[in-house]
Amino acid sequence: MNTKNIELLAPPREPHFVGDGFRVHNFIPSGFRMDMKRMDPFIMLDYNSKFYFPPTDKPRGVGVHPHRGFETVTIAYKGRVAHHDSSGGGGVIGEGDVQWMTAASGVLHKEYHEETFSKEGGEFQMVQLWVNLPAKYKMSKPKYQGISNNEIPKVELSDKAGIVEVIAGEYQSNQGAASTFSPVNVMNAKLNMDGKAAFSFPSHYNTGILVIEGSVRINGEENAPTNHFVLFENNGNDFTLQANENATVLILSGEPLNEPIAAQGPFVMNTHQEIVQAIEDYNMGRFGHLED
Amino acid sequence: MNDRLDNFHKYLTQKAGVKEEDYNAFLPYFSVKNYQKGDIILSKGSICNHIFFVEKGLLRLFSIDQNGTEHIIQFAPENWLLSERESLYFGTPSDFHIDVLEESIVVMLMQDFIPKASSISPEFRNHNEFILQNHIRQLQQRVNLLISASAEARYLHFIKMYPDLTLRIPQWMIASYLGITPESLSRVRKGLAEKNFK
Repeated sequence: MNTKNIELLAPPREPHFVGDGFRVHNFIPSGFRMDMKRMDPFIMLDYNSKFYFPPTDKPRGVGVHPHRGFETVTIAYKGRVAHHDSSGGGGVIGEGDVQWMTAASGVLHKEYHEETFSKEGGEFQMVQLWVNLPAKYKMSKPKYQGISNNEIPKVELSDKAGIVEVIAGEYQSNQGAASTFSPVNVMNAKLNMDGKAAFSFPSHYNTGILVIEGSVRINGEENAPTNHFVLFENNGNDFTLQANENATVLILSGEPLNEPIAAQGPFVMNTHQEIVQAIEDYNMGRFGHLED
Repeated sequence: MNDRLDNFHKYLTQKAGVKEEDYNAFLPYFSVKNYQKGDIILSKGSICNHIFFVEKGLLRLFSIDQNGTEHIIQFAPENWLLSERESLYFGTPSDFHIDVLEESIVVMLMQDFIPKASSISPEFRNHNEFILQNHIRQLQQRVNLLISASAEARYLHFIKMYPDLTLRIPQWMIASYLGITPESLSRVRKGLAEKNFK
């Protein structure tokens, strides 16, 4: 066993609101030593830790906005979100579901709390990730994968330790539900108290975990509490998680693209010129149209 | 040099051609303030004592009519100058408000900054003459667009002047600046999408 060591245990930063519907702690790119390069190809990680939204008649969320050059991945742990985009993609995701939107050459989209959820109010908990696209796919056609929980392969761990849901990538020869443009692993480990899971990713893959529920012991030596992010060094392959109590952990590991990043607001490209072009294309309606 | 003022320093030394030693002689005539989104820098009825240079962030100059409707005269993102000229130069109470649309760092140029800087630096004096003429040109164009141009032509002019503002401010503010309703701005944008979206 060639152990992947912990580089950093990051507590959640002060939350801020995205629109009026997402109260998030940003880990990437504003976290300490967590810029867009450090977890490449994961270039943004916003985490709405468990938060109660009171009932409202007007669904909270984020209005129409564009994206180009990457994928947005929303993983729902609690609550329901409705999404619409200008390429015709759309749907509702709820507890356990995942929305994997490939913005690529450009989409307009909006994300709101689903209507019934808004009316009833309730606990809301989600992760939004931005996964960068390799340069050669940045201007490819937009795509939308709505992945409901029953489509996500679940790997039963031995000794009733729990399960691993493979959203993307591979775990113990089980292929994830989402298709990706570069080697990316995204999975949820749902561990029972004392349950143990082992993971192995190449050392040059950028790897981290986010503790969604409970707390876990990593490599038998360090505890990571709820809502904390753990960044691994790029030195070994293997790490283990053991649940101190029932725990849910999001695991991220991806091969770095190692391409230049030019980012402004909702656009992530390789050069400044491409950013200027993206802004012009958006202004001129080349992303299409979506009613607010 | 205060390294927080990268943009202001670059603006004076590179755009206006001000010499480094002259820049240092300007220091007594400006200060720097940080503002939060929603702060009001100038309100109607008060006297405007500064020209504002936006180091970082976004300001807005606007009026409010009798019905309480806001009318936006000018936006000032990074590297723009903004002021209430009548109040500043003629000492009259301001007709306008200036507020903060994004967390901002603002260089506050004192009333005598322009005459002092002009006497210190001939390069600054020339540049100031140029930006005044340019500002008048922009205002002429803006008046002409408001009285003669279609909503689409106004919008196209806007995105040329402020390319990234469409990503930073809500649609109704753009509509207010253009003197059109939000509905007609939405029609313009939809029309462009129909023409240009392949």
